[in-house]
Amino acid sequence: MANEEFFPQVREAVAEALGLDEDEVTAGATLLDELGAESIDLLDMLFRLERTTGVKIQAADLADYVQGGIPDEEFGDEELDVIKPAGMSQLKTVMPQLADMDLDGKLQPEKVMSYFTVQNLVDLVASRAATVSS
Amino acid sequence: MDLVSVRRFARLLREHPGAARDLFTAVELASCAGKRRRVEHLAARFAAKEAVLKTLGTGLGPRMRWTDIEVTNDPDGSPVAGLSGAVAARADVCGFRTICLSLTHTAGLAIAQAAAVRANPAELSWLAGDSGTKAMDFNALSPD
Repeated sequence: MANEEFFPQVREAVAEALGLDEDEVTAGATLLDELGAESIDLLDMLFRLERTTGVKIQAADLADYVQGGIPDEEFGDEELDVIKPAGMSQLKTVMPQLADMDLDGKLQPEKVMSYFTVQNLVDLVASRAATVSS
Repeated sequence: MDLVSVRRFARLLREHPGAARDLFTAVELASCAGKRRRVEHLAARFAAKEAVLKTLGTGLGPRMRWTDIEVTNDPDGSPVAGLSGAVAARADVCGFRTICLSLTHTAGLAIAQAAAVRANPAELSWLAGDSGTKAMDFNALSPD
């Protein structure tokens, strides 16, 4: 799933939105935790990416992409506050870095986006671009 | 609760002219148009939307749009949140019937507090606080 095509545009958008040098924006860096992005910063990135790639991504598209169309009740257990096995399988597809993290049965839904990386954003842009062009 | 830097929000709107249409309904934009501190008012409404989403436990979830939350003022001038679309559906799943809002903003910060409750407005005994925002008398809540 790792994609290189849109990495330069994503790196530029992330750097400009967060006021960072592009060198600081590595593929494996998590947007929220390591790079310190907030909601407004994510919006800023998506608007910049729309301008540079022509791919429009709504903020909710991030959640759509991560959840992959799996119904809420199959994706996460609200009572136990944990991602279910079907949800973890989906997450490991779009966020492959989770496969090595021993999070099965432990990952809380509200923590999912804290693991979202620059590379995951690149892959999302590529996925949306492919959808638009098909 | 959510806190928004007005300067950061102003930068977002300035650098992305189409952003306002994505984030706000026509009603919200009209209510802030012509105000001297327009960006502060918009930042406060954005903070309110974030605060509401936090009460639902999802952030901006699948199929949700920022415009699914519309922040307006009631005749008393108090902020109210109207829900639609996927956000309303989520609130329904949670059993929430009422969203209580409180907003404040300065030149630097916009702050919003939201509380979602499982009671109809008619079932609540409202107390008006000194700030003009509505507070809730929890003793008047009907049991589930």
